[in-house]
Amino acid sequence: MKRLLVKFKSFLMFTLLLLYHFNSYAQQGYELTGIVTSVETNTPIPGVSVLVKGTSNGTVTDFDGKYTIQVSSGDVLQFTYIGLTTQTITISNQTTLNVKMEEDSEALEEIVVVGYGTRKKSHNTGAIAQVKGSDVAAIQATRVDEALAGKLSGVLIQNQNPEPGANPKIQVRAASSLSGDSGPLIIVDGYQISGNLATVNPSDIESLEVLKDAASAAIYGANGANGVILVTTKKGKSGRPQFSYNSFISISNKYRKNILKSGPEWAAFSRQEIAAGNWDLSQIDPAFVEYRLRAYENSPGAISPEDWLFRTGVTTNHDFSMSGGSENSKFFGSVGYQNAEGVAITQGFERFNARLNIDTQSGEKFKAGLSFNGFASRRDILAHDMRDLLRAYGVHPVYHTAESIAFVQALDAEAQGLGLSPFDDGYRGGIGPTSIYELQPGDRVDDWHYGRDNNGIGGSGDAGPAQKLDNADAWQKVYFANLSSYIQYEIMDGLFLKTALGGDFNNTQNYYYQGLGADSRARTDQTDLDESTRNASSILSTTTLNYNKLIGKHDIDAVIGYEFLNNYITGTSLVGTNVPNSDIINYNLLNPEDITTTETEITRARKSVFGRVQYAYDNRYLVSASLRRDGDSRFGANKQYGVFPAMSLGWNVHNENFWKSNALSLLKLRFSTGSLGTSSFLNDFDAQSLLNPIPTVFGTGFGISGNVNNPDLTWQTNTETNYGIDLGFVNNRFRLSVDYYNSDIEDMLIGSTVSYTTVGQPSIIVNNGDMTSSGLELELSASLIQNENFTWDINANLATVNTEITDLDNVDELPQIQYGQSGRGPIFRNYVGGEIGEMWGLETIGEVEMRFLEDPTRHPNNTSGESYVVDQNGDGVIDSDDYVKIGQATPDFYWGLNSSISYKAFDFSMQWQGSHGAEVYNIDPLYYESQWSGRLVDTFDANDDGIADHNGEHYIGNRRQTDHGIQDASYIALRNLTIGYTLNRELISKIGLNSLRIYAASTNLLYIWGDDYTSYNPEGIETGNSGYAGPTTYGVQVGASPIIRSFTFGLNVNF
Amino acid sequence: MKKIILLLAMSLFITACEDLDQVPSNIANSDSLTDFEGVLNAAYFYQLGSVTPMAVMGDFRADNALMIEEPFPSFDRFNSDLIVMEDQFFEPFYIALYRSILSANNVIENSANTTDVGEAKFLRALSYFKLVRVFGDVTVNLSSGDLSLDLTRQPAADIYNNIIIPDLQDAISVLNNSGLSNGRATQIAAQGLLGKVYMQIGDFTSAESHLAAVVNGAADAGVTLQANFADIFGDANDLNSEILFATQVSSSIPDEYGFTEFTGWYIGNDSKSFEPLDLDLVAAFDAAGDVNRKALTVDEDAVRGIKYLSENPDQDWIELRLADVILLYAEALNENNNGDGSQSATILSLLDDIRTRAGLASLSGTANTQIEVRQAIADERRLELAFEGQRWFDLVRTGTVDVEMGETVNPNYYVFPIPDSEILASNGIITQNPGY
Repeated sequence: MKRLLVKFKSFLMFTLLLLYHFNSYAQQGYELTGIVTSVETNTPIPGVSVLVKGTSNGTVTDFDGKYTIQVSSGDVLQFTYIGLTTQTITISNQTTLNVKMEEDSEALEEIVVVGYGTRKKSHNTGAIAQVKGSDVAAIQATRVDEALAGKLSGVLIQNQNPEPGANPKIQVRAASSLSGDSGPLIIVDGYQISGNLATVNPSDIESLEVLKDAASAAIYGANGANGVILVTTKKGKSGRPQFSYNSFISISNKYRKNILKSGPEWAAFSRQEIAAGNWDLSQIDPAFVEYRLRAYENSPGAISPEDWLFRTGVTTNHDFSMSGGSENSKFFGSVGYQNAEGVAITQGFERFNARLNIDTQSGEKFKAGLSFNGFASRRDILAHDMRDLLRAYGVHPVYHTAESIAFVQALDAEAQGLGLSPFDDGYRGGIGPTSIYELQPGDRVDDWHYGRDNNGIGGSGDAGPAQKLDNADAWQKVYFANLSSYIQYEIMDGLFLKTALGGDFNNTQNYYYQGLGADSRARTDQTDLDESTRNASSILSTTTLNYNKLIGKHDIDAVIGYEFLNNYITGTSLVGTNVPNSDIINYNLLNPEDITTTETEITRARKSVFGRVQYAYDNRYLVSASLRRDGDSRFGANKQYGVFPAMSLGWNVHNENFWKSNALSLLKLRFSTGSLGTSSFLNDFDAQSLLNPIPTVFGTGFGISGNVNNPDLTWQTNTETNYGIDLGFVNNRFRLSVDYYNSDIEDMLIGSTVSYTTVGQPSIIVNNGDMTSSGLELELSASLIQNENFTWDINANLATVNTEITDLDNVDELPQIQYGQSGRGPIFRNYVGGEIGEMWGLETIGEVEMRFLEDPTRHPNNTSGESYVVDQNGDGVIDSDDYVKIGQATPDFYWGLNSSISYKAFDFSMQWQGSHGAEVYNIDPLYYESQWSGRLVDTFDANDDGIADHNGEHYIGNRRQTDHGIQDASYIALRNLTIGYTLNRELISKIGLNSLRIYAASTNLLYIWGDDYTSYNPEGIETGNSGYAGPTTYGVQVGASPIIRSFTFGLNVNF
Repeated sequence: MKKIILLLAMSLFITACEDLDQVPSNIANSDSLTDFEGVLNAAYFYQLGSVTPMAVMGDFRADNALMIEEPFPSFDRFNSDLIVMEDQFFEPFYIALYRSILSANNVIENSANTTDVGEAKFLRALSYFKLVRVFGDVTVNLSSGDLSLDLTRQPAADIYNNIIIPDLQDAISVLNNSGLSNGRATQIAAQGLLGKVYMQIGDFTSAESHLAAVVNGAADAGVTLQANFADIFGDANDLNSEILFATQVSSSIPDEYGFTEFTGWYIGNDSKSFEPLDLDLVAAFDAAGDVNRKALTVDEDAVRGIKYLSENPDQDWIELRLADVILLYAEALNENNNGDGSQSATILSLLDDIRTRAGLASLSGTANTQIEVRQAIADERRLELAFEGQRWFDLVRTGTVDVEMGETVNPNYYVFPIPDSEILASNGIITQNPGY
C-alpha cells in the first residue's frame, strides 16, 4: 500500500493546494443576512449557493435556509440551486434579504447523455438505459458494475469470475459477434479509457447511460456494436465546499456449503452402501476393504480441501470527496481506497482511486476544464487452478503433525502386513523427505505419504494442495492515469466550438511463479518465473462544432466533429524456467539462458469524422440522424474505412391537442435504425502475416505466423432496428417501456477454425457469414407511494435474447470445436439455422451403477465414471453420428427487480436479478468424482464391445462428449439488500455535519440455483483455456470461483 | 485577434495525427523477409513437440513399456479407446510436425541459401516420415501457408515417392557434414535416413546402397561407434560421435509440449505409468545373456527404464545413430543377398562392434538361414535401441506385431488416431483412421 500512496502523494498535495485557493476570499463591506424559501412549499431551502457575482465570495444556506455574507453596496448576489430558477439581485445597502425561489421547469426536464452531447429525455428516440449516481450510492457496491446488476433492461451483468478485482461479464443485448470479447465500450466523461469500469470509483458517479440500440451508439461507429456505457462523473458546484466521507467494512464467504465428502464422510457412506447391498465387493479382500475404510475414518487431522482453501474474507473501503468553487471555477476531487480479501486463501485486491474535475469559465465566451483520474491496484490471484487444488482427497492434513506421521507409518506397516507394497515405493522425486519414516511435523503432505490406491488411501501421486499453492504466487498490478482537458468557445448564441485533448496511461504488470515444490517430482523444467509489463498510452483529440438552439417550436441540436485516437503499446515479457528452490525468488538466481524475453511494440491509429442532427418540433415530432466515418489501422490495407449511418424517429402522442386521456399520461412511439462496426476484439496484426519470434538452440527462430496477409480484412457491420413505446399512467406514476430490436450482422469477423496443415494455426480471423439477433425488453417503473414520510419506488425489467446464424458463406457449418479441459467438454456447433455455440454430445440415460465397479471404495466421492448412452441412429455403434444438442449457454430471458423504500429516516432497497434457461457444461465433477475411478468388473462387458451385458445398453466414459456434464445455469439472486438510517439533521448539525447515514447491506443474501447444479457458481464460465474462441465456445465451467455472500456495515457522512 | 489565435491553436490539436499504416518494427513480416535463417531455426525447434509422443508410441505401444494405470490402459489395448490420449500425444505431435513442415516450406520456397534449403528439405522429409509412420496417409502441404489447401489425406506411398525420397536426395546433394558438430542436418544423416526410409517401404536394394554409403563413409565423416554403450546417452554425451542426427533438447528452450517429457515417461514419473517397464524386455535381455546393456537400460527392481539416468530435460532425443544404421544395413543385406543363407556369417559379423561393446560374443555362426538371421538382427535391434522410440515401428515394419506382442492385433491399430480436432476443422475431409 505504501507504494500506492506514494504514487499519489503529489496528486493529494495538488488537490489540497487547489482547495486552499478556492476558499481564500477577501472580507469587505458589511454583513448581509436572510432566509431563502421555496415559492411552491413556502419552506426554507438549505444548501442554496449564495455568491457575489464576479468574485469567489460565497456561502451556502444552512439547514434553516439562513445565510450570512459580507457584501458591499452595488454587489450583485446570485442564488442558485439545482432544479430552481437562478435569481440575481443587486444590493443597495439593505442588511436583510429574503429570497423566494421557484422551480425551473426547463431544469426539471430530465436529460440523458448521448455521445458527444445530451438530449432531453422526452426527446430521446433511441434505446438508452440510465442510472443515476444516487442509485449507485444508495446500495453498497465494491465496484460500479456490481451496482448495476439487474438495474438495466437488456444489460446482463454476471459474476463470470467473482474473485476480487476480476471483471464481471457485461453483455448489452445479444452478442454482436461470434468471436471474441463482447464487452461494451466504456466512455468516461467523453474519453474512451483504456482501463475498465474498475477504475471508476462508484462514489464519483453522477450518472451512467447505456446506449443499447444501434442508432444511439452509431455516433461511436467503429466501436459501438457491443453497446456503449457513458459514465459522467460528478462536477463541482459553486459555494461552500462540501465534503463527503463513505466507509464500510464487509465480510464475505462462499455462498454454497462444501460439496465434497471428507474421508470420514466417505467411509460412512461406503459402509452404508455396503450394508444396503448396493456395492459388490466380492472381488476384493475384505480385510483390505476394512483396512481402507478404517484409514478413511481415523486419519488424524484430515481436512477437506474445501475447508483448507476457503475462508472468510474481509473488505474495507474508504472514500473521501470534496467539491466546491466560485462562480468561475468549480472543482470536484475524490480519493478512494479499498482492500478486499477473497474467499479463497491468497486471493485479494487492493485499489486506490483519485479523481479531480475542474471546470472554469473566463468571461461569457470561454469555458475550459481539466479532469484527472488515477487508479492503482494490486490483485493477488490464486496461483494454482482451483479445480486441481480441490480434487485432492480430504483424507489427510495439509501439514503433517506427530499424529499424522505416526498414523501413516502404522498404516504402512498394516499395508505390508496385508502383503501390499510399501508406501515409500510411491516416492517419485520431489523436494520433501523421500521416505515416510523421515517425515517431520510441519512437513507438507504429499499424496503418496498415504499410499496409493492399490495399497492405501493416498491420491493421484500428485503433490498435495499445500505444496502446489505454497510454492506458487501470482499477482497483477495496474497503474492507470487519465488526464483530459477541453476548451469551449461560444462563437455566437447557441454555436459552440469545443476541442478536447486527453492522454491516458495504463501500466499493467503480471507475475506468476511456480516453484520446485509445486511439482510432485521437483522437475526443474516445470518451474516458472514469469513477469510481464505492458505500457499502453493513448492520445485522444476530439473537436466538435455544436449548434443548440430553441427557435419557437423548433428545438435544434446539431454537432459535427473530428476525432483521432492513437494508441501506443509497448511491453516486455520474461518467461523464466529452471527456477532454483529458494526462499527469495528473483531473476538473478536464474541462468540467463533460462529466461526468454518477448517484446511488444504496437502503434494503432483511428481517425473519425462524424455528425448528428437532433430535431424536435413542438415536443411532438422527434428526429435524429447521424453519420460517422471511421478509419482503423488494424484492418487490411484495402478496407480501412467504414461508414456508419443511423436515423431515428419519435412521436410524443400525448402532446397532441387531440390527446385527452388523463389515465394515459404518456404515450410515445420510437423507431430507430442504424449501422455499427465492431473491431474491439480484433488483434493488432490480424491482417498481417508476422513471424512469431521464438528462442531455439540455434538462436532466434521466426515461428509460424498467427495470421495470413489479408488486405481485405474489414469491419463487420451490425445493422439494428429498434421499435419502442413508452407509456405513462396516472401522471406518469406508472411507466412502461417496451423495446423490440432486430439486428443483422454482416461480414462477421470470425476466428475461423482451420486445419493445422494449412497455416499451422487452429484458427484465423476472417470476415465470414451473417447472423441475426432479436430481443424484447420490458421496463416497468412505479411510484407506489409518494408522501412526505414514505416513498416506495419499484422498477422491474425483463429481456429476451435470440440469435440465429443465417449464413456462413460457402459452408453450412463452422468447423466443430471440442472445448473444455484435457479432452473433456462438449462439441460446440455453429451452423446455419442454429444458435451461437450450441453444445452437442451423447445423450446419457443414467450412470453405470457403483456395484459394477471392482472397488467402489477406492477414493472419496468416487463414481463409476461411466454412463449408459443412447445409440440415436440405431447402428449399433456409438460415435459422433449419435450426438444431439445437449445444451446452450444463452439464457432464454433474464430480469431484474429493484425496490427502494424510504420511510422517515430509514431507507431500504433491494436488487434482484434472475436468468433462466441457460446451461453450462460443468467439467469439475469429472475430476472430483471419477478422474481416478477403478475399472468395471469383467462381467459387466465380457466381450469388450461397449455394451453392458446385464441390460444391453451402450455405455461410455463420462469424460467423453456426453450430457453428463450439462447442468442448469438458471439462478435467482438477491444481488443486494441495503437498509440505511439517516440521523436526525438537527442533532448532527450541532457537531458540524450536514448528514450522516449508517447502513447495513448484504450481497447475494439469497441465491437460488437449479436442482442439478453441483458446483459453486452457475455464472462462472471458463474463457481462458487454450482453444477458447468467444461466443462460439461459450458455456464450459472449469473450477469457477464461488459465488460470494457478503455482509456490510458502513456510513456516509456529508459535511 | 486574440480569439483568432486561440482558434488556430485549438485547431492544432486536430492536425497532429498519424496515417493508418501500422507495421511493427520489431517483428518480421513473412512477405518482406530476406534472410530465412530464423525460419529454418523454427523448423528445427518445432521437432521438439514430436519427441515425447514418438517415444511413447514407439515403446509403450510395443512390448518394451507399459501404461496400464487405470483408467489409462489404452496404449496397451488395441481398440478405439486410444483416442482419449490424443490431447497428450497425437495432437501435439501432429501440430508440431506440420509447423516444422510449414517453416521448412518457407525456407525451400524463398531462401537463396542452398545449405539452408538442404537442411529444410531434410527436416521436411523427417517430419513427413514421422507422420506417415504414425498415421498412414496424411494431408500434404508444400507451401509456407495455404488456406485453400486440398486437405484430402494423400497415400503414404505417394508421400514417400514424391516428397520424402526426393527431399532427402536433394539434401544429400547439397549438404556436407560440417553440421555434425553443432547438431544441424548433414549429408550423412540425410543418407542414413534415406536408407531407413527405403527399409520402411521394403526397397531393400536402394536401402542397401545408401546404408552402405553411411557405414563405409562414417569414419571419414567423423562418425564412430562410442566405445562404451553408456557414453551414448545423457546430457553430457549430447552430440557424441555416434549421433547422426538428434533433436536437441534444452531446458532453456521452452517447447510447446506441456506434458511429461520422454525421459520422465521411461523413468516412471508420469502418474499414468509409475512402473513402466514391460517385463518382456527384461526377459529378452536375460535370454540374450545381455548383462551390460540390461544394467544400463532397466533398473534393478525391474520396474523402470534408466537409459536416460534421470528425468533431465537437457538430454537430446536421438533420431538416428550409427548403431541403428549398421543394424539396418545388416538387415538389408540379409534381405537382398542371403536367400540361401550363405552370407549369414558375414552379415552377422557386421554386428560384432555393437556386440563387443555390449560385452557379448559375435553372432557369426549362431544363425544360418535368412529367417534365423532376420530374427537375430531384430532381437539385437530391440536390445540396442530399447527406449529410443523404435520398437513399435520396427514391429509394424517387419510384420511381426502379432508374434512379438503375443496376441492378434487388428491391423487398424498399427497406426494411431488422427486428432479429432483436425477431422472437425476440415469438416470431415480429413478422415479418421478405421477402427478409431
